Amino acid sequence: MTSDEPAAPGDGTAGKAKPPPFDTRVANQARIYDYLLGGKDNYAADREAVDAVLKIAPEMGFTARANRAFLGRAVRYLAAEAGIRQFLDIGTGIPTAGNTHHVAQAIAPESRIVYVDYDPIVLAHARALLNSHDAGATEYIDADLRDTDTIISRASELLDFTKPVAVTMLFILHAIPDSDNPHAIVATVLDALPPGSYLALSHLGSDIFDQEAQQGFQNIVSRMSQQQYTGRSREQLARFFEGMELVEPGLVRIEEWRPDPGSDDTYQSTAWGAVGRKS
Amino acid sequence: MDADVPIGARPSPDPEDAPAEATVLRMLLGAQLRRLREAAGISAEKAGYEIRASRSKISRMETGRVGFKTRDIEDLLTLYGATGGQQRSEVLALARQSSAPDWWAKYGDILPAWFETYIGLESAAVTIRSFEVQFVPGLFQTEDYARAVTQLGHHSASADEIDRRVALRIKRQDLLTRPGPPRFWAVMDEAVLRRPYGGATVMRTQLRRLAEAAELPHVTLQVVPFARGGHAGASGAFSILRFQERDLPDVVYLEQLTSALYLDQRPDVEHYLEVVDQLSGEALTPDDTTAFIEQVARET
Repeated sequence: MTSDEPAAPGDGTAGKAKPPPFDTRVANQARIYDYLLGGKDNYAADREAVDAVLKIAPEMGFTARANRAFLGRAVRYLAAEAGIRQFLDIGTGIPTAGNTHHVAQAIAPESRIVYVDYDPIVLAHARALLNSHDAGATEYIDADLRDTDTIISRASELLDFTKPVAVTMLFILHAIPDSDNPHAIVATVLDALPPGSYLALSHLGSDIFDQEAQQGFQNIVSRMSQQQYTGRSREQLARFFEGMELVEPGLVRIEEWRPDPGSDDTYQSTAWGAVGRKS
Repeated sequence: MDADVPIGARPSPDPEDAPAEATVLRMLLGAQLRRLREAAGISAEKAGYEIRASRSKISRMETGRVGFKTRDIEDLLTLYGATGGQQRSEVLALARQSSAPDWWAKYGDILPAWFETYIGLESAAVTIRSFEVQFVPGLFQTEDYARAVTQLGHHSASADEIDRRVALRIKRQDLLTRPGPPRFWAVMDEAVLRRPYGGATVMRTQLRRLAEAAELPHVTLQVVPFARGGHAGASGAFSILRFQERDLPDVVYLEQLTSALYLDQRPDVEHYLEVVDQLSGEALTPDDTTAFIEQVARET
C-alpha cells in the first residue's frame, strides 16, 4: 500500500524535507488527532476530514484514544520496569493530557524527554505547554523524522547516548511512504543508541483495517490532509524490530498491550503496537 | 464529538447583558439547560411558554447572555424531566454560584460592565493566549508601569481614581499566584518591550519583572522581534480564553476605547486562533525570548 505521492525522496536528501506550511484550510495530522482526542486546537478543515473518516471508520475515535492510552502504558513500563530515564519522543503532536514527560516524570522526576516534531506550530505548542518537572528536563527539536542526521546530532547533545534511551514513534510511521524507506530511518536512529535502549511503536495496521474502509480512509487523507497514509501489516511492522527483543506480549493490537484492569473492550482498534529492547 | 457546537449567539455585546460576574458559569449553565431541553425534545417556544417568556429569551439564557431566576430554572428542569436527583441539584448549584458576587464587585464605580465580563472570563479560564502590540500584558505589569499607562488613558481622573484603577489591575494579578492558575501564553511585538511607559527606570524594572514572570511554570512569553519583519498579527491586540469544559467554546476578547467585543462563534474564533498559532510559530522560542527581554532591559 505505497502512496503514489511520495512526500520526499528516500535517497538521503530527505533530510531537507520542508515542514508543512501552516494552512488551516487543509487538514493536518496533528490537529486531526487533537480533535479525535477531544482537544480544541483544530480547525474546520480538520473536523471535516475527521467527520468524513468517522462515517466510514467509526472505530477511529476509539483507535486514537487507544493510542494515547498505549503511550501511557508503554512509557510507564519503560520508566517503572525498564528503568529508562531518557526519552526521545518523535512525532510529539499537539500536547494533551498524559504526555510522555508527564507519565515518565510521575515515576522518575529526573527523566529527560526530548520532543521532536517537524511542524513548527505543533512545536510552538509543545514548547509552551510541555514543561518539565524541576528535577528533569524537556527539550525540543524541530526536525522531520526523515532527517535522522539532525535528530541524532541534536538529541545526542541533549541526552547521554552512552546510557539507554527509549525512542517512541507513535502513529507517525504510517505517514512515511515506503519510498522514504521507513525501515532504514528507524534502524539509523536505533544504531545511534546503546544496547538496552528501547523502541515503542504504534501504527495503523493494513491487515486489521477493513479493506473498503481503509481505501476510503486513504482517499480522504490524500484528498484532505497535508500528510500521507501508508498502511502496513503486522509482518511489515515486525521488521522495524529486527535484531531487538520484543517485550511481552509482543506485537499486538495497541489496546491489548499490557492493558490496565477494567479497560474498555467494547471496540477493537485498527492499530498494532509493540515495545522492543535493543540487545 | 460536539466540541464545536457554538454556545454564543451573537458576536457583539448585548445591551441586555446582566452584570457579568460569573459569565462562564452562566454559559455552562445555559449549555446544560440546552442539552436537557434538546434531550427532552422540547422546542424553545414551548420552554419559553412554560416560564412566561419568549423563544429568544430561552436562547439568551442558553447562551449565557442573561441572568437566571432560580424559579425559572426550577420550572424548566421540571419541564425537561429533571425532577430530582443529582442532575437537578448540580444545575441549581451552578445557578446559585453564577449569581454570587465576586471580589471585583467593590470596584464597580470604575469598572465598566464590559470589562467586568473579561475579569470573570479570565478567572474561569484554563488557558489565556494573547497577542500584545503595545502594552505589557496587564497580569505582568508593575505598579509604576500600570500607573503610567492608566494616567495616559484617564487624563481627567482624580488621583484617587487613578489609585483605584491601578489597585484593581494589581489585584487581578492574584490570578497568577492562586492555586491552579490558568496557563498564560502571550506573544508580544518587540514594540511592547521598547516603548518606555513611565520612563526608562520604570521600564527597566518592568522588563525585569517580565523576565521573571517568564520563568513561572504556567507562563509562556514569546517576542516577535522587529528583525523578523512583518508578522501575522495585523489585527492588533487580542486575547483568546479557553475553558476546561468541552462544551464551552473559546472566547476572543477585543478591547476598544469605550467597550469590548467578545467573539465566541467558531468561525470568528478560528480566525484569531489561526493568527495566534501563526504568531507563536514566527516568534522567538520561550528560552530565546527571556534572553531577548534581558538584552532589551540592558539597552533601556
